[in-house]
Amino acid sequence: MNLLLLLPALLMIGLVFVWPMIRYGWLSFHANSVLTGLNPVPNGGANWIRLLDDQRFWQDALQTTRFAGVSVGLELLLALAIALLLDQRWRGRGVVRALALLPWALPTTMMALGWRWIFNTPYGPLERLNEFVGLGPLNLLSTPMWTWLVTVVADVWKTTPFIALLLLAGLQTIPKDLYSAFRLEGGRPIQALRCITLPLLMPYVLIALLFRGAQAFGVFDLIQVLTGGGPAGSTESVALYAYLNAMRFLDFGYSATAMLAGFLLLTSAMLILAMLLRLSGLMKPVQP
Amino acid sequence: MKRRLALWICLLLVWSLLPMLWQLISSFSTAESLVNGSIPFLQRWTLVHYKELLASDPPFWRYLLNSAIVSALTTVITLALAIPAAYGLARVPLQLRRVLRWITVAAALFPYVLLFLALLELARRFSLGNSLIALAMPYSGLAMPLALLLLTSVFESLPRELEDAARLEGLGLWQRLRWVLVPLLAPATASTAILVFLFAWNEYPIALTWLSRDELLTLPVAMARIAGSSIYSIPYGAYAAATVLGSIPLLLLVLICQRQIVSGLTNGAIKG
Repeated sequence: MNLLLLLPALLMIGLVFVWPMIRYGWLSFHANSVLTGLNPVPNGGANWIRLLDDQRFWQDALQTTRFAGVSVGLELLLALAIALLLDQRWRGRGVVRALALLPWALPTTMMALGWRWIFNTPYGPLERLNEFVGLGPLNLLSTPMWTWLVTVVADVWKTTPFIALLLLAGLQTIPKDLYSAFRLEGGRPIQALRCITLPLLMPYVLIALLFRGAQAFGVFDLIQVLTGGGPAGSTESVALYAYLNAMRFLDFGYSATAMLAGFLLLTSAMLILAMLLRLSGLMKPVQP
Repeated sequence: MKRRLALWICLLLVWSLLPMLWQLISSFSTAESLVNGSIPFLQRWTLVHYKELLASDPPFWRYLLNSAIVSALTTVITLALAIPAAYGLARVPLQLRRVLRWITVAAALFPYVLLFLALLELARRFSLGNSLIALAMPYSGLAMPLALLLLTSVFESLPRELEDAARLEGLGLWQRLRWVLVPLLAPATASTAILVFLFAWNEYPIALTWLSRDELLTLPVAMARIAGSSIYSIPYGAYAAATVLGSIPLLLLVLICQRQIVSGLTNGAIKG
């Protein structure tokens, strides 16, 4: 009976999450593009051989990993500061918390275009400010280095509130007595942060790290709207490349291969990360 | 000390709100004043962008309505399936529960954009494209892991005795769910509903590939389409006005329901 109640939800999850992976596995061993009239024709491992040799895919994989690493790192630092701030008692905290949450709640595509206006050359506010300094145009969205930084800023802006809330939940589980005891023993506030807060907060940091790491590796909306992968492919992500293969080059077999490869890369990265964390003793085995 | 706190709070607010404030200012600025800084202050303002948005074809509120339909439907379907499932999940043997929990967590972590191609195939095979009702199906599936995680943890925390007492009183399974468990679950259900709603409201890649007819687009896709029209001549004034109009429903939702959102997110973190 209990299993019967579970069945519809599990079927749904199976159809949406498991079936695509099976389908990609099958598609990745078929040519399915305009050349075959959009019909699947078995082609052995040709897609996979092409992938191993595909500079653009590996370049994108590297870029995506770098993007995910840097933005999640920055987000964790900023979120910790915000969580510590929101953990204090002060009037109007609820309203500020809601306002600070707003960037996370807005559709990514909406603010992605907003950022394009803000970083516009020569009419955006940043370039206008820069005019006073007189360094000459920054060309924020046509220089690879700057553009990359813009995508990181946009991502940090959007998802920091989410992590801050996770960490805030963690902070609120720490008994306040610990801090007063620590103070009585003569500890300084900054030491309390290092000796009490950070160790007890670690499980939450790890949850945020895993969750955000996976999401950031799948970055798509932001890149597609903000930069389109440019300039010169310097911000293209794995998901965007797979999307372009399917929707622009109409090569479904290769798109499926790229997505499956992206998934496998991500899974192995996660497993290695989890193993390292467990070896270093930071993560305890999960007890459901 | 007090003053330093206030300073940090101001910094936080500036960081969170300034980009949106710039959109607000832009949306009321004439197209001329957006590119020409020397126009006198009083001649910079206009409502023309808003008027254009509401008079365009399809009018802007249509996208808001589409998004609202899909999101509401997704929320209903997800909850209708996730509540009984969470109940079942909290009652199956421990070994099985552990396996199912790992599957759910893995699915919740999954960057779902990688699923779009297979889902698009399904849409083509069963002609589900260009239908807002059909779009709610994959959305419910995608939101299911999160809903399950949030709701299961609550079912597990309810005392078993409560349900046993209701059983002794002769209440059947559905009656127990309806009269005993669901009322106790109301707060968790509310926060789950809001998070699912937000997911569906903001979802982009699936909507992008499933919808092509102008009058059916959801808000995120409609926004991105403005961006794709041309790299050099994006109508930034009109666009900023669209951002402002599009944010109002969410602004209200977040301000009114922030308590539920926060408790949903934090419960998910503690128990997931």
